[in-house]
Amino acid sequence: MSGVVEVGLGRRTRRGLAVWAWAVFAFLYVPIVVLVVFSFNASSRVNIWGGFSFQWYGEALRNDVITSAIRVSLIVALVSTVVSVVLGTAVALALDRYRFRGRRALDGTVYLPIVIPDITMAVMLLVFFAEAFKFIDSFGPRFTLGISTVALSHIAFNISFVCVVVRARLDQFDRTLEEAARDLYATGWQTFRRVTLPLIMPGVAAGGLLALTLSLDDVVISAFVSGPGSTTLPVYVFSSIRRGVTPELNAISTLMLTASIALVLGSLALQRRRAGAGRQTQVL
Amino acid sequence: MTEPVAAVEIEGVTKRFDDVVAVDNVDLAIDDGEFFALLGPSGCGKTTTLRMIAGLDLPTQGSLRIFGEEVGMAPPDRRPVNTVFQAYALFPHMTVRQNIEFGLRMRRVKDPELSQRVAEAIGMVRLAGMEERRPDQLSGGQQQRVALARALVNQPKVLLLDEPLGALDLKLRQEMQQELKALQREVGITFVFVTHDQEEALAMSERIGVMSEGRLLQVGSPREIYERPSSRFVADFIGRTNLIEATVESSGTVRLANGVVIEAETSAPAGSDVAVSLRPERIRVQSRGAGVSAGASLDGEVGDVTYLGHAVVYAVTAGPTLVEVRNEGEVGEPFAVGDEVTVSWDHGAAAVIAE
Amino acid sequence: MFLASPGALYLLIFFVIPLGLITVYSFATRTSTGRTSLSGWNVESYEAIGDEIILGIIGRSAWLATLTTVLCVAVGYPFAYYIATRPRHVRAVLLVLVMIPFWTNALVRVFAIRFLLGSNGPASALSESLGLGTFRILFTPTAVTIGMVYSFLTFMVLPLYVALERMDWSLTEAARDLYASGAKAFWKVTLPLTRSGIVAGCVLVFVPSFGSYVVPDILGGAKTLLIGSYIARQFRDARNWPLGAALSVLLIVAMLVAVALNQRSGSGAEDGGRPRGRKRRPGQGEAEPVTAVAS
Repeated sequence: MSGVVEVGLGRRTRRGLAVWAWAVFAFLYVPIVVLVVFSFNASSRVNIWGGFSFQWYGEALRNDVITSAIRVSLIVALVSTVVSVVLGTAVALALDRYRFRGRRALDGTVYLPIVIPDITMAVMLLVFFAEAFKFIDSFGPRFTLGISTVALSHIAFNISFVCVVVRARLDQFDRTLEEAARDLYATGWQTFRRVTLPLIMPGVAAGGLLALTLSLDDVVISAFVSGPGSTTLPVYVFSSIRRGVTPELNAISTLMLTASIALVLGSLALQRRRAGAGRQTQVL
Repeated sequence: MTEPVAAVEIEGVTKRFDDVVAVDNVDLAIDDGEFFALLGPSGCGKTTTLRMIAGLDLPTQGSLRIFGEEVGMAPPDRRPVNTVFQAYALFPHMTVRQNIEFGLRMRRVKDPELSQRVAEAIGMVRLAGMEERRPDQLSGGQQQRVALARALVNQPKVLLLDEPLGALDLKLRQEMQQELKALQREVGITFVFVTHDQEEALAMSERIGVMSEGRLLQVGSPREIYERPSSRFVADFIGRTNLIEATVESSGTVRLANGVVIEAETSAPAGSDVAVSLRPERIRVQSRGAGVSAGASLDGEVGDVTYLGHAVVYAVTAGPTLVEVRNEGEVGEPFAVGDEVTVSWDHGAAAVIAE
Repeated sequence: MFLASPGALYLLIFFVIPLGLITVYSFATRTSTGRTSLSGWNVESYEAIGDEIILGIIGRSAWLATLTTVLCVAVGYPFAYYIATRPRHVRAVLLVLVMIPFWTNALVRVFAIRFLLGSNGPASALSESLGLGTFRILFTPTAVTIGMVYSFLTFMVLPLYVALERMDWSLTEAARDLYASGAKAFWKVTLPLTRSGIVAGCVLVFVPSFGSYVVPDILGGAKTLLIGSYIARQFRDARNWPLGAALSVLLIVAMLVAVALNQRSGSGAEDGGRPRGRKRRPGQGEAEPVTAVAS
């Protein structure tokens, strides 16, 4: 069983393509691998290999600023993922199947946070919180930028991403299945619970995974809407890089890298299992 | 005894989608235990009619009763009907058993009744041993059986089938036609099925309702529909026919466009324009002057001959009219293009269609 | 519709209102203390964009984004082509290898480049030990370009892969049969039929490159000040919020125009030349749909 599409390319072209492809893979992976390797460097000089050691991981994890940043990142990621999955899925369902006033406006608005650059989203939210605080302060309570503003901001962009991913799934959804359920005496809620939700679940899970990843990745928006004590891990790393490369930074980066890769591979494994149960594979 | 209540009674039902009238003021009564077909080309409103009976679409106006109970506006889960969907709509994330159980579970039927009824349904459609498979592991015919079992297990008063055989290949389709008829006799409930295939409708149903452009044109037995079509559309849509323009002379005779007067029953008033429908297989071809036994005849010339094995089709030009004649089996010697012939038919063969 | 209302309300408060506010701010006045006065509306901030320095920054951003996009097509097309023409099981593995960097923390990946290219980093150490002298690439436009290509290449590869994977190769074979050379068949058949993937990839790369903030901030120097960093500055050190707001509005409008142009050209684009509902060739297998959503 070959399955290779030859499309009449000459041997030299084919060899050239292969070399090129593997060079690109090297380009994608070498920097990451070098970073990971040097995170285990015993030497405090970043460019000289001084033997294998875990010492930078130890130092990083003993650093209160870093552990606090990890905690903030995790809380924000979990909260924003849960909220945006619920809200985003609801919006996707509404856009997919109902006509209502303002539908087109909502449909367009949902895509905007995905399209506009991070930096503009960041300054928009900064200006918004500044004005909102001015307004709220006039009633007495005093609010400042903190973990809640970070979470609120992450939800704002994650709703859109979840919504888009879930809608892609809904596009393939066969509505007669819902009619069949209704015909078989299921109420509207039972139909949703027993038929619709299980079938769009891969989309909802994919949306949630994307939201989680984006929240853990975000640096620009968080940098603008976080306050003292609510620094996320990427924001900490970002500001540290500006001050210079340290072996500690290598260690934290490797940890973040591991988390990302674990998430991807986990989701792929999950999909493979589902695919085995007779469903289509969807590579995220 | 009182008049038996109709299984499905539709009165003045209209369905509009925005500006499009999908079903236009339809009246229809389907009897208890009947095998009824709604027949028409795609877009004629037959599926919408079926969906309104199922409760999947709600009528814009009109009344819809199932065994005397008004259900026009009731949701599908409150109606004693079940549907076999066009592409079956089997739940892909559930096994065969879970699919069949679905309706019973929704109505909170508990064991042992649940498993007993499911087992019966599985036996009825001969799917024993397949219970734990998923729909995508079944063949088209098996999926169709699951869809049937999933609907019938609920013991509906009326079973609705939307193009039930459309997704199957020809051979399987013919097998399933027989099986569906047998199944309907076995369970004894009303079957209403939608199809665009006129042969399927003729072969399977006790009565047929022909629809076109949202209107119900004619309801009758297959024989009535075929032999006494009430409109040009029905005559043309069901089987092949020759439609000849004519004028009514009196209640028993009409004058064809070429001046020939033939005998034909009609209730249309004298002088009105009508069409005469002549089925090709009810017409005979003979050599000119061979002596016509009975009925009416036209003289013409063979314009084209098509050999089909079990039949020969002649296109005969008789003045301005082209008559298609279908000779089944060996009837006399074959004719060739250009032969002078006479076509003739019995009195009962011509159906007059009032405009 | 009640289902959409919570999400719609959320977007209204935390996206639409902020979007409106930033537009309002772009017409406001900056006071001498660096505060923003919401009175005395004017278009001075927009006029300031005409300033030579700012125009230079915008021009540089556009140039670097264009360069990045072109490089990504050049690097990504043969790469995607190679992957899309592998046997099915190999293709699945290679696709995972593309997905991992795609999903990996972007900041960490930029940091990896910074670490690798730094004057006291491994690349430099290697070149020194080979007697080639110290690497002085960091904080140059070259470093920023490398970083951007590195960051956004997967955004290009995925839509290209999708387009190539859907490609009906019998069309290329037909071209060969009709006397086209391999190169001709590629230019006349394959390339036009994968145009939708190229256009989509270009937008996915150009949009984030143009507004990029993290990459130039970490890899660039004074000579590579780009619009993203310049906007950030206005809201931090320079404290000129109205100017920053005006530039943001400009950036948002530019991005929307780019996306709208893409959609217009995308809607008419072919889908790999494969007629809908047609059976696939044996060996070509089932599609592996790629949900490629880029931030």
